[in-house]
Amino acid sequence: MKSQHAVELCTLLIEDNFGELFARIFSTLQRYERLTLPRLRFYSALSERQLRHGLTAMIQQHLVFHFTSIDDGNTYYEANPEAAYYLVRSGKILQLVEERLGEYAAKVMEVIMFLGHASVRHLQSIPELQTVGVPAAPKPAVQTNGVSHGEGDDAENNDVENNDVENNEMEVEEEEEAAHETNGDDMPEARPAPFHSTLKALASHGYILRVKDAIFQSPSDNYLDARRTVSAKSDIKALKGKKQEEAIEIATAELVNERCDYDLSAKFMYNGLPRGVKRKFANGSGASNKQARTNGVNGHHADDEDEEENDWSEDEDGFDNIPMESGLIVRVNYEKLDVALRNVRFVDLAEQDAPDATVEVYETLLRRIEYATPRCRTDGRKKDIPREGEEGKTHSIPIEVMKIVNDLDPDLDLTGAIGPVEPQSSTTLNTRGKRPLENGANGTHDDEDRNSIFTRMTEVNQHLSLLSQPPYNLAESHTTEGIKWYISFRDLARKLRHLELERMIESRYGDVALRVIRVLQAKGKLDEKRLQEISLLPMKDLRQTLATMQKGGFVDLQEVPKDAQRQPSKTIFLWYYDTDRLCSSILEDTYKAMSRTLQRIKTERGRVRDFLEKTERTDVKGHEEHYLTEGELVDLQRWRDLEALLLTEVARLDDMVAVFRDY
Amino acid sequence: MAAAAESRIAKLASKLYDACADTFDPDTLFYQPDLLDLEVVPKGDVALLLQCTQSLVDQKLFRLHQSQNRIGWKVIAREDAEKLSSLNPDEALVYNVVHSTGRSGVWVRNIQNRTNLHKSILDRCLKSLEGKNYIKSIHNVKAPNRKMYMLSGLAPNEDVTGGAWFTDGVLDTNFINTVAGFIEYTVSRKSWYEVAADRDRGRSAKRVKTATGKAEVNGEPAKRTFIPYPMNYKGYPSVEDITRAVNESGITPVQLHGESIIQLLQMLCYDKKLVSLGEGRSYKSVKNPDIIKALQARKPPGEGGDPAPLDILGKNGMTESPCGPCPNFKLCSPGAAISPETCEYFDPWKEKVLGF
Repeated sequence: MKSQHAVELCTLLIEDNFGELFARIFSTLQRYERLTLPRLRFYSALSERQLRHGLTAMIQQHLVFHFTSIDDGNTYYEANPEAAYYLVRSGKILQLVEERLGEYAAKVMEVIMFLGHASVRHLQSIPELQTVGVPAAPKPAVQTNGVSHGEGDDAENNDVENNDVENNEMEVEEEEEAAHETNGDDMPEARPAPFHSTLKALASHGYILRVKDAIFQSPSDNYLDARRTVSAKSDIKALKGKKQEEAIEIATAELVNERCDYDLSAKFMYNGLPRGVKRKFANGSGASNKQARTNGVNGHHADDEDEEENDWSEDEDGFDNIPMESGLIVRVNYEKLDVALRNVRFVDLAEQDAPDATVEVYETLLRRIEYATPRCRTDGRKKDIPREGEEGKTHSIPIEVMKIVNDLDPDLDLTGAIGPVEPQSSTTLNTRGKRPLENGANGTHDDEDRNSIFTRMTEVNQHLSLLSQPPYNLAESHTTEGIKWYISFRDLARKLRHLELERMIESRYGDVALRVIRVLQAKGKLDEKRLQEISLLPMKDLRQTLATMQKGGFVDLQEVPKDAQRQPSKTIFLWYYDTDRLCSSILEDTYKAMSRTLQRIKTERGRVRDFLEKTERTDVKGHEEHYLTEGELVDLQRWRDLEALLLTEVARLDDMVAVFRDY
Repeated sequence: MAAAAESRIAKLASKLYDACADTFDPDTLFYQPDLLDLEVVPKGDVALLLQCTQSLVDQKLFRLHQSQNRIGWKVIAREDAEKLSSLNPDEALVYNVVHSTGRSGVWVRNIQNRTNLHKSILDRCLKSLEGKNYIKSIHNVKAPNRKMYMLSGLAPNEDVTGGAWFTDGVLDTNFINTVAGFIEYTVSRKSWYEVAADRDRGRSAKRVKTATGKAEVNGEPAKRTFIPYPMNYKGYPSVEDITRAVNESGITPVQLHGESIIQLLQMLCYDKKLVSLGEGRSYKSVKNPDIIKALQARKPPGEGGDPAPLDILGKNGMTESPCGPCPNFKLCSPGAAISPETCEYFDPWKEKVLGF
């Protein structure tokens, strides 16, 4: 995350979201690493007042780590590039939350994201979150594309920040009280929102986490601090040499884990399931679900919300109405959301070839697994993606078939989506063709209940074993004490990476190149002749493809001289395909492409600056139809489309970054 | 006396030859005890036997082999013997070397090494042998620049020709694509269960579908749906099934062997068109027949026309963004000669996407 393009991108993202002051501070911190306030002032050439305001707000947004050293009493500031990068993913996260937990949850999430972190008390007092059923304040058109940081938000945000800053000094915790004063516009005719239950649902899904002191310090500071504390303990001091080292390591790891235990989900789980899981409605096929969702987006659908609310609380006996402790401070848990987003990608893979019912079964399995997976990689964020072949096996927890059956929509037709075991014959066709209907009709009888659960389990097994086949091996099973299904995360993450690479190769070099690459990947290093034999390509095409790909950096050539003179005629040339190297270079390219796209937005904005300034005037904003001419409205729409397009492209590139870096 | 003995040996030798030709395959190497077992030579008289074999060797009816300090012989057919006896000693030497390498052929330089003949003599021999149509020059795929010879009556080895997929030492792309397309479609028909929307029509569509896309397209799209078979389905075709189907289909002029088909199947696996199940025991297609048909019709291989967009794998950020295919991406930086501000790819791109 420290490369040139990544740094550039983070600065751009901050500038885009929070303005130039933040970007200036952030880029200075990235360039000089850790700085004290006087040094920072020196390098950034900003006034102390600006710096203090900026830093306070940036700490609130977790863009800057700070650490006060006990040794010299100085406070050091350090940039947090990961938090800065996650700004680009916010739209996707909100979309996911909305799909999973409904519109209101997404709104709560948005507010939390917008504030950086917030106490429950403060969130509760925000007028926007007190009610549902009222359309949210107008947002820029950008939102439709899942990227929700338009200028509107920025301006507002800066207001909030500045107010805060004036009221408070460095005390971050106290900030929240002041924040809501600025955006207090009461909405009429609204119902009280299911605030606490929603927050609990978010917490139990792990989408939000508890803020502790350690979260404001960089991971290395946390480690060193913990180590110092541990070393000062008397029982450790009594040890000597190697033993002491080991004891310190272990105790430090424990202490760091304890201090960085932000997890909220375990506390709010209910029977191993998070709250607020949307049960599949009895009549719920995918289409009608979607219908409900789009209605919700359009607003004014109180019924929808109501139904969902009831849906959650029915098996929890009104527990949800007990408010959460108001002092709790929460923020967004990006690591967990990466897990959820990764599962979405796995489902996409499954969708390519499998029937809908299978995909649904798979989604259910993944959902179960998601609840028990706190982060994408067990070693956490500190390390890079392991090299291929050295990654080991990381399995998810195994899930019993029974649980999947219970979670599935009982009316989902599992039988009709898979053919018979026997090869085609008209008799099986007939019986099979009608079977699903019969099942649906008889399924509710008490006698058949047990029986049908068993058939249901076999069917679920059938569907999952379909997915366990090549090419993707999306699920795996073991059969000790009944069949349990699990996911092999590292294998699948690798397949996702390869898929992204192959897509690029296909679009740049065509399908011939794709075959060559796959042969090289399967066989390792090969000389031209063997390569030709396996790939069955004419030598001319093969050489051309290899040469262009080598130019593009996708394949490499290794020379193995037979003698010391290294004559070309006496040298073996081996082609190979190094995915690890390629992934990291593509990742850099992706960062760069994202930066370029963001910079292009700036250029495009510059082109129509005068017009945009008019539309952003306080009297015009919100009343565009009233003040602008028809032509101007068309222009405005065009501009919004263009901005949406470019931001969507950034979001698409972010998908790739996620695959290459996070999953 | 000597003449009588000679004629006796000649008779005996001819008897021995007939017995050997009856008993042994042309390729079998037999030794002295084997000959004695034939009981042609009376009383196991070894000296007599050796005289006989010597006379046969002289008549080029036996070929002498020396292996592991034993002497063995092989039978030569009478026609071949005639050929051989018409050759001069140098030519016979060359002929034997070429013969010994069988179907893999032999490189000229190797003949030279083994015969120790001078190059000009060797050339003359080869020329005369080729003129008599005893040997032929062949083309080796692995070493296209080497001049190689083999007996004219033999068909070259697969190592030499490169297998069924080579025609005259060149990879026959059209042929490969045709067979590959046929295999993919055939396998696909067995890997997907056809739901009975329009069954009779589906059955009749069994006719051979080649990859040329020339065969008329079935004029009823989207009527059939395909669903996968369950895990324990046993109907996925094996290599034998596929080989049989290919050979019966009439799209190949020659019979293809299992090994050639395996080669092609593996290629299809690398194309992610098929997947192999159970380590190559049987194969399953990734796409269902309709999709395959559509793809094959859309992209006629080997012919010109518009290069159809390749989006089989789908797109990602880098393939869509103007930066992905940009040739000067490495040079691009803000404020430089190539920069996001002055980029000439963004405008056409946005016009294309937004349509204005």
